[in-house]
Amino acid sequence: MIESTLANLVVMAGFVDALGQFLRPGNLAAVFVDGLAKAAIYVMIAGGLTLIFGLMGVLNFAHGSMTMIGAYLGGLIMIGLVGGGTGFGANLLFFFVALAATFALLAGLGGVVEVGLIRRLYDRPPVYQILLTFGLTLILDELVRIAVLFYGMQPTSDWQSALGTKPNALAASVDLGIVSVSGLSLFEIAFGAATVAGLWAFLTRTRYGMIIRAGSEDAEMTEALGIDVRRVFTVVFALGAGVAGAAGTLLMWDPAWGASVPLAADTLLPAFVVVIIGGLGTFRGTVVAAVIVGMTDATMTWWFVNEIDFAGLPEMTIFLILVVMLILRPQGLFGVEEVGGH
Amino acid sequence: MVAILPDVETMIAVLYFGLFAMSFDFISGYTGYLSFGHAAFYGAGAYFVVLASNGKIPFVATGTSFVFLLVLAGLVAVVLALLIGAVSFRLSGVYFAMITLGFSQVLYVFVRGWDYAASNPRDGPAVLERTEPFSVGVPGVDSLNLAIGQLAGDSVEGLLGFLNFGTTEVSYYMIGLVVLVCYFAMQRIIHSPFGRVLVAIRENEERAEAVGYNTFWYKLGAFAVSAFFAAVAGGLFAGFQRSVSPESTFYFLVTGDALLASIIGGFGTLAGPLYGWLFDESVTEFLSKTGEGGGLLPYLREHLGDATMTTELWNGLTVGQAIDTFLNGHAELYIGVIFVLFVLFVPNGLLGTVRDRLGGPVGKQVAARLRGDDR
Repeated sequence: MIESTLANLVVMAGFVDALGQFLRPGNLAAVFVDGLAKAAIYVMIAGGLTLIFGLMGVLNFAHGSMTMIGAYLGGLIMIGLVGGGTGFGANLLFFFVALAATFALLAGLGGVVEVGLIRRLYDRPPVYQILLTFGLTLILDELVRIAVLFYGMQPTSDWQSALGTKPNALAASVDLGIVSVSGLSLFEIAFGAATVAGLWAFLTRTRYGMIIRAGSEDAEMTEALGIDVRRVFTVVFALGAGVAGAAGTLLMWDPAWGASVPLAADTLLPAFVVVIIGGLGTFRGTVVAAVIVGMTDATMTWWFVNEIDFAGLPEMTIFLILVVMLILRPQGLFGVEEVGGH
Repeated sequence: MVAILPDVETMIAVLYFGLFAMSFDFISGYTGYLSFGHAAFYGAGAYFVVLASNGKIPFVATGTSFVFLLVLAGLVAVVLALLIGAVSFRLSGVYFAMITLGFSQVLYVFVRGWDYAASNPRDGPAVLERTEPFSVGVPGVDSLNLAIGQLAGDSVEGLLGFLNFGTTEVSYYMIGLVVLVCYFAMQRIIHSPFGRVLVAIRENEERAEAVGYNTFWYKLGAFAVSAFFAAVAGGLFAGFQRSVSPESTFYFLVTGDALLASIIGGFGTLAGPLYGWLFDESVTEFLSKTGEGGGLLPYLREHLGDATMTTELWNGLTVGQAIDTFLNGHAELYIGVIFVLFVLFVPNGLLGTVRDRLGGPVGKQVAARLRGDDR
């Protein structure tokens, strides 16, 4: 009895100690920056998904595969462009060229998929769209696996040259006063913020964005106003796929993700979680949810790496947040019940 | 020899995974609630059997007979299903699919880091403590038990004077026996008034509610029944393989495979998923690598002459290389293509389409035609 109380006290003391460590400004700031970087990645991989669901009511299972293809494409284009080592500015310029090219290619793929496959299913129950995109992931993943094997990209070291295209400045740490963070984290944060700003501006400041929002509010009414909603669907699906590809290009350099075939499933599930927590189909919700999930992930990772030895827990918390959220507020943070009619 | 039909080993996998696919169809095909985390129950059953036979489940001895273990595993899954279902059935549609997926992923990640289950939880546990193979039969009567297992198992010689079965065939028939019993049990439930309510929920839940059924309890009940049989399927898998891994049990793509089987076989036809999975495994085996019972690859290698094999197709790619590239172990690609084609053009699946053509369940229609009944 006494022993167990004593043990409890020791555990408590350890906990208080750890809390003290955690609350030190340096550590807090590090966790905060890490959380923001994670949030940037989450918003990138979930942004396209929520666009597609918001307007079309299609839960795109192939989204992860498109991110994965984006990672490979981005890497290949970078290898082609960079060749040897060049300066920071040139590499960054090439990166944006690769990004634009990946975006365009994936958007093209998305458009073809929408016109060729998904369009046939609008008059069926929504479950068939999930099924179709699920089948599509099998096809896309296997095609990429064949290509990777055939060209010997992985596991041989050829692929290393794609990682080598990362500008040195991103690999180094940047000193921000109380905390030093990796340049890549800062880059990811800037990139994620730019994507959010870009998509937000597109949705709220352009005529086409207005049409998209109108279509997701009330497709029939929009149709009645003389707008071809079918064509808007194609554009949105292409846009969503393009954003997925851009996210993949960003992940290519990140040591925690990197280009691999399983990346498809590894990004798809967190993307689902983020989209559902935010409320299916609301862009604002997705951004907030990405920040929540990113911060929680960073905090949990800190705790479970430094203080408690259970490496699976940070990964588990993402899904625990999902479950808790669905219990407390099934429609998500900013969701309206019955989005998309189902 | 070129094998067109799947070998017995593959057929065993068809049986136990077919049972899992049927249990998935039992809830998703009949109530319309897509249980995207169904692998949780399959995994629970598989892990229960392995952990129990390693003496890691309290009050369950390592030597407990396999049939008891299957029932216990099923009951564990029922409890799990009631917990998950009580929360999940407040939601519907995509949200239901996602919350069940969430629960199963929580379990998946948990099991992957749970060092109580195995010394290396990422690879999963194997049966270590229990040396004798698992056997199917009447518990307590040794003569009515036959052992199953991939390497160890019983063989039967001279049954009825002329039947001889190797260990794999015995496993096939004994696992098949359990699957058959489970199938009839599920079929019985589907054709009961309870099952009719499930179909009513699928067709129009609001109307079912308006008629006076408390649909929540019906859905929860169906979920529990389905979880029971999913766990039995997982238990059979663990009993035959004697080792399990998180990837082959709790991972969401395991549910995805059941979904493939259900769609190809016929969503909402109980036996359909078994045929669907048979189809799936046959395609996989036909296109798999040499030495794994592959049909097409060795055949082409043998029968295409050297001249054909070295013919250049495109940009330095020879026929031989193309065969190696696109056929060597990439069955998943063709399964995916077939699946998409089924979703687009055969929405009722194999069995559903056959039934539509015949105008009713195959057994009844064929029997009626053979008898020459007026229809």
